[in-house]
Amino acid sequence: MQCPDSLRVQAFFDGEVDAVSAAEIERHTEGCAQCRALLQELERTRTALRQGVTDFRASPALRARISAALDQESIGRAPPRRASARASWRTQPFWLGAVSGLGASAVAAALLFLLLAPLLNNPLVDDLADAHMRSLMPQHLIDVVSTDKHTVKPWFAGHADVSPVVADFGDRGYRLIGGRADYIDHQRSAVVVYQHGAHVINVFSWAADGRSLPKSATRSGFRLLFWRAGDLEYCAVSDTGWDELQGLVALLANLNSSDLPK
Amino acid sequence: MDDRRGRFEAQVLPHLDAAYRFARWLSRSPSDADDAVQEAILRAFRAFDSLRGTDTKAWLLTIVRNCHSTALKQQQRRASGPLPEDGDAQMDEAMIATAPDPESAAIRRDDERTFDRLMAALSAEHREVLVLREIEEMDYREIAAVTNLPIGTVMSRLARARAALKTRWLQETGTKPHAMP
Repeated sequence: MQCPDSLRVQAFFDGEVDAVSAAEIERHTEGCAQCRALLQELERTRTALRQGVTDFRASPALRARISAALDQESIGRAPPRRASARASWRTQPFWLGAVSGLGASAVAAALLFLLLAPLLNNPLVDDLADAHMRSLMPQHLIDVVSTDKHTVKPWFAGHADVSPVVADFGDRGYRLIGGRADYIDHQRSAVVVYQHGAHVINVFSWAADGRSLPKSATRSGFRLLFWRAGDLEYCAVSDTGWDELQGLVALLANLNSSDLPK
Repeated sequence: MDDRRGRFEAQVLPHLDAAYRFARWLSRSPSDADDAVQEAILRAFRAFDSLRGTDTKAWLLTIVRNCHSTALKQQQRRASGPLPEDGDAQMDEAMIATAPDPESAAIRRDDERTFDRLMAALSAEHREVLVLREIEEMDYREIAAVTNLPIGTVMSRLARARAALKTRWLQETGTKPHAMP
């Protein structure tokens, strides 16, 4: 049989009573062994629970996902002019307006836009450009620092969902400087980081899912080149010129085809 | 970054870990918790202008709870969708109900966090109030706001949840309840 005051004792324990009631309850517990025991139990259980439970934290991957989702959301709220500069699915009302309001040329333009939309509006392109931009912030570029492919490649085994080709082309002007894992398209993408002159080139790779991707794209001043090798999609992103970027892609693609028998 | 986004990040994102912990305890699955928290943050961002007062944490956890229960309902609807037409249907359902979820299996294997296992074994209602009170250190009024319960119900539920946790803990350590002082 529980003391009818047990809920008040619990409230006292939880700091939910005023000073007058607290004094009353203290007097009560002096005379009631059951409530004294209850107070001790509450304290014991609380201490044990707080010490014995895992302190879960939002992972860096979740934080990155949320940041990217908020980016999308912010773009959706921006004026149309800015929204169209960084195309996404949220710009649909913009072209719907064009169709309804204008003549044949606008309809033709809108149709063309519709045809190109799957390629131009690929949110993955935005994700990759965002990930590249994030990587340029201090402390974000590299998780494993190494100029040795035999260090970088095994590192991916524990940190990414795919295992891309890794090579150093220092003698051709593309120096391997490390690797990183980024959360792209709901998977842990492997990123190989190269330096070309003063420029950083991020080479993203993730498991291909048969979705159509553009051959190349430009976002926020960055250039993106896509290619596919085996089961992986690759994308090289940088602020270098197209020729410099193409140079690295050619070296990597070439390596891929000659590496296949392994 | 625009001003609204900046204010949102300064005011709401400090509670991201709390939101994740709460979602994690509600769903007991890291990936479901991730999804619920991401959805909750987006909803919070959209509703940010309507946030009045200073109790941002309770406001955010309320949204997390709603996102979790929406996801849970969807999962249940999928699970109770069209069943095979033959006599195995009942059997399948029974298997779904009794199959241990991967999370609790992992916790059983990894024996170091006793209270993770004890908490996971509690009912969702008990676990919820315990997490809000003991881990998030919210007061009764805040817990009532998050769980949408009257304060009296919060108090009695909390008492039952604590008793249930204590009982399981004593069973675990092999101590007999009446050996307590």
